[in-house]
Amino acid sequence: MFDPKQVRKDFPILGRVIHDKPLVYLDSGATSQKPKVVLDAEREYYEQHNANVHRGAHTLGDEATQMYQDARSVVARFIGGQSQEVVFVRNATEALNLVAYAWGLDSLRAGDVILTTEMEHHANLVPWQEVARRTGAKVELVKVSAQGLLDQEDYKRKLKLKPKLVAIVQVSNALGTINPVFEMTRMAHKAGAVVVVDGAQAIPHMSVNVNDLECDFYVFSGHKMLGPMGIGVLWGRGNILESMSPFLTGGGMINEVYADHSTWAQVPEKFEAGTPNVAGAVGIKAAIEYLEGLGMDNIRKHDEDIVGYALAKLGEVEQITLLGGRDASKRSGSVNFIYEGVHAHDVATILDSLGVAVRSGHHCTMVLHNALGITASIRASFNVYTIHEDIERLVVALGKVKQVFGR
Amino acid sequence: MDIYAEEVMDHYEQPRNQGELEGNDVRTARDANASCGDMIQFFIKTKAGRVIDVKWKGIGCAISVAGASKLSEYLQGQSLGDLARMSEAELVKAIGFQVNPGRMKCLTLPIRVVQKILES
Ligand SMILES: Cc1ncc(COP(=O)(O)O)c(C=O)c1O
Repeated sequence: MFDPKQVRKDFPILGRVIHDKPLVYLDSGATSQKPKVVLDAEREYYEQHNANVHRGAHTLGDEATQMYQDARSVVARFIGGQSQEVVFVRNATEALNLVAYAWGLDSLRAGDVILTTEMEHHANLVPWQEVARRTGAKVELVKVSAQGLLDQEDYKRKLKLKPKLVAIVQVSNALGTINPVFEMTRMAHKAGAVVVVDGAQAIPHMSVNVNDLECDFYVFSGHKMLGPMGIGVLWGRGNILESMSPFLTGGGMINEVYADHSTWAQVPEKFEAGTPNVAGAVGIKAAIEYLEGLGMDNIRKHDEDIVGYALAKLGEVEQITLLGGRDASKRSGSVNFIYEGVHAHDVATILDSLGVAVRSGHHCTMVLHNALGITASIRASFNVYTIHEDIERLVVALGKVKQVFGR
Repeated sequence: MDIYAEEVMDHYEQPRNQGELEGNDVRTARDANASCGDMIQFFIKTKAGRVIDVKWKGIGCAISVAGASKLSEYLQGQSLGDLARMSEAELVKAIGFQVNPGRMKCLTLPIRVVQKILES
């Protein structure tokens, strides 16, 4: 097991002082901080190897191309897929849009059902609404229970509608719930659906194997898993990617271009139009190697420990109502709560004045917040560098809310 | 900077001019910050180009509620022409609260509502 106190030394930003207090960064669910090895890898790429990929026959071009392909192989190994099934995109949102437009527009017809859930981040809901609007398909949502779980009875009922697509989040960014994605994928396949899994909040905290999950698409962002912003991954099952039309077109994704038509490159290049984010790919590779150095099983143990500690400590604060389940073994990455009688933004501003960074609002899950009957909540979210002291400082800082608001 | 200064908390705890107005000489508008769940509606009664009464209602954080309250006081008796010429930044200044950039949208919510009325 690693010592998170030692891990902290790898993250330069954690030395920041905010309003004269040492930073307590509890917003890793929005974006994680980056270890020095990731920053160094990007810098080294630009200082020593920068050139455009797949073109020109010169040494730097070859080096850059090789580094880009190496990054793809490392991502593939990390999630148990094949290199040619890994498409580099900007982020999870772009990956979901790629599936929605490149797969959805060709595969969905008027009256078809797209089944997703009330728990989704807007990134796994709005693209489906858009595709539904254009194709005449219908979006149905699986309900969330009062305990913050997906209602499996409702899921089974809605699978009877024979959805063409099931889109589910593996770990909720607003409740921390770990969904039974494998079981849900199996049921969806029996009902004849293609399955997309949003892994944005799962991949930083637990070992993921796309073949064990048996899903058809899996998406995530580099920036939530200690990697840089601007690089994300769409993993797709080879035969499905092969059958899809391109999403964006232009340079880099073609085989031959004639005056009136073109032919496409092989996957995954077919889905990577234009100059890619090579430094980002190099950065995500460095992030994965850093995570693997800590060990994904250790990371999950640490995650569960911090979530459990936060649930216990925040549970003792009188004014706080915790959202989601209480069992840390079924949660990951964050603890979400409301402070009775004080608006989430006011709580977050007061915490910030004491150096404690949390997120407040609906966390891009308006449908979920409406279903829970609340408008905004506060989220403390974690990563490998989060320590018990961070949670303790959060609890102390919450005392100031009471001072200012008198409740 | 003390966002929750005494004056802000005072306006938040005891908001001024809350309520509604009716009548032909009353103009109203509303707006929301969906991401916060905040909603503010203003009612402005005018006579001979001047504001003669202001009421507002809504829900929000301390900043948007206190901002709406303070703004409602500021508007009383002002000339519509003068108000219409004021930029958002000038109205922020008129309210006089200090907020950090991340919370500016809370303070500008009531201002946007009033500007909607002034433009109508
Ligand atoms: C569950 C989930 N899905 C998708 C996203 C979107 O990620 P990105 O903004 O990197 O595209 C997020 C990020 O907040 C998320 O938490």
